[in-house]
Amino acid sequence: MSTSDAASPDTLGPFEVSQLMLAAAANGGSAASGTLVGVSDHNLIGGRIALVCNPGDALSRRGALGPTQLNEAGFAELMVAIDDTRAKDGIRTLEVNNEKFEFYVEIRRPIRELVVVGAGHVAQPMAHIGALLGYQVTVLDDRPDFATRERFPDAKRLVRADFADPFAEVTLHERSFLILVTRGHKYDYECLIRALRTNPRPAYIGMIGSRRRVRATYLQLLEEGIDRELLASIHAPVGLDIGAETPEEIAVSVAAELVMLDRGGSGSSLRDLERVTKRFFRDPNLSQGDNKGGRHEGKFNERDT
Amino acid sequence: MTYEDDKTLAEALKTAREAGRACALATIVGTRGSTPRKVGARMLVDPTEGLTGTIGGGCGEAEVIESAYRVLKTGFAERVRVDLTEDFTTWSPAVCGGVMDVFVEPVAVQTGDQKQLSEESRARAPDR
Repeated sequence: MSTSDAASPDTLGPFEVSQLMLAAAANGGSAASGTLVGVSDHNLIGGRIALVCNPGDALSRRGALGPTQLNEAGFAELMVAIDDTRAKDGIRTLEVNNEKFEFYVEIRRPIRELVVVGAGHVAQPMAHIGALLGYQVTVLDDRPDFATRERFPDAKRLVRADFADPFAEVTLHERSFLILVTRGHKYDYECLIRALRTNPRPAYIGMIGSRRRVRATYLQLLEEGIDRELLASIHAPVGLDIGAETPEEIAVSVAAELVMLDRGGSGSSLRDLERVTKRFFRDPNLSQGDNKGGRHEGKFNERDT
Repeated sequence: MTYEDDKTLAEALKTAREAGRACALATIVGTRGSTPRKVGARMLVDPTEGLTGTIGGGCGEAEVIESAYRVLKTGFAERVRVDLTEDFTTWSPAVCGGVMDVFVEPVAVQTGDQKQLSEESRARAPDR
């Protein structure tokens, strides 16, 4: 059994791979690992390889699956997974010499960063829920009394910055999610126009504000020469319509929008989407003996016991 | 899994390694229909420290834990198909409506030992 020249001959187990993947994510890099989970030759089961791509470094190949051809096929598959930002974890089939191998691929991307601009009432629950969702949270304000550790215990970074040049210290990138919740729309606007002019642009820009305020902002941005397409990418007013009023509710609404965009949800109530209840009450065979008033699935319990 | 999940798991793997303890690691590698956790969810079964992570709680987790103890004993990885499509009225926890494909593998004591461990147990195990 020979290993490819490019691959280091180390045996990778779950421990080694977990260390590699963590290090890559923490360095702002990407990594993909693959494990043989279904093979006719039992000796090969559990074999692992990993492809690590740290910023500024060449790709590094780790581990081996078995014969060279199998390794090459595995690394090629990992390469595809790293390159395709929409690639999902799961089983791929490797075909080598007419034999099929079930190859489980896992991908890790650099950690996403939630940049909360403004350290006021909404920012606090926003930072909290962001950390809860696994974002690395940065809170930025021009008032040092507000961006404090006491107010933001789970933020990764607290930055004091002038809103005239808010992103001097905080580099925005493709994995940044920007939430503009400063104390005044003047500041929101200043930060927004700078964020729109950064390259690379953040993955998400959300700005709080009433319909009127958002409209006024857009008009001014157009005057400044920001094109319509770019305007359309802004999420303003920020969040999903759940009737949020308090700062905590607003944070939930924004968080819901972030998850929805990440996972590709619709933002509708699952009850309406799946239409379980609707079908249930429309079908006379199913809803027999039920009054029209029953609206929730709790009815099942009453009926069955 | 999120970065935090990864960190927790890495920590648990490290603890076991430093203590010189073999563990079993379960990973959801495929799902169909509704399942409580999705592909990539992991659970480490450490015979001393217990469980780290979850692949869905009551729904089929017991089956996977059983498999993990077999894996610890034999050194052979297993594929477990957890069926969560039981009838609602049985009041079984497995009524989510989906099927999970779980890979359960041994985590050997040290680098390189994984192969050795499985080779030893293979020598003892009857041919398959």
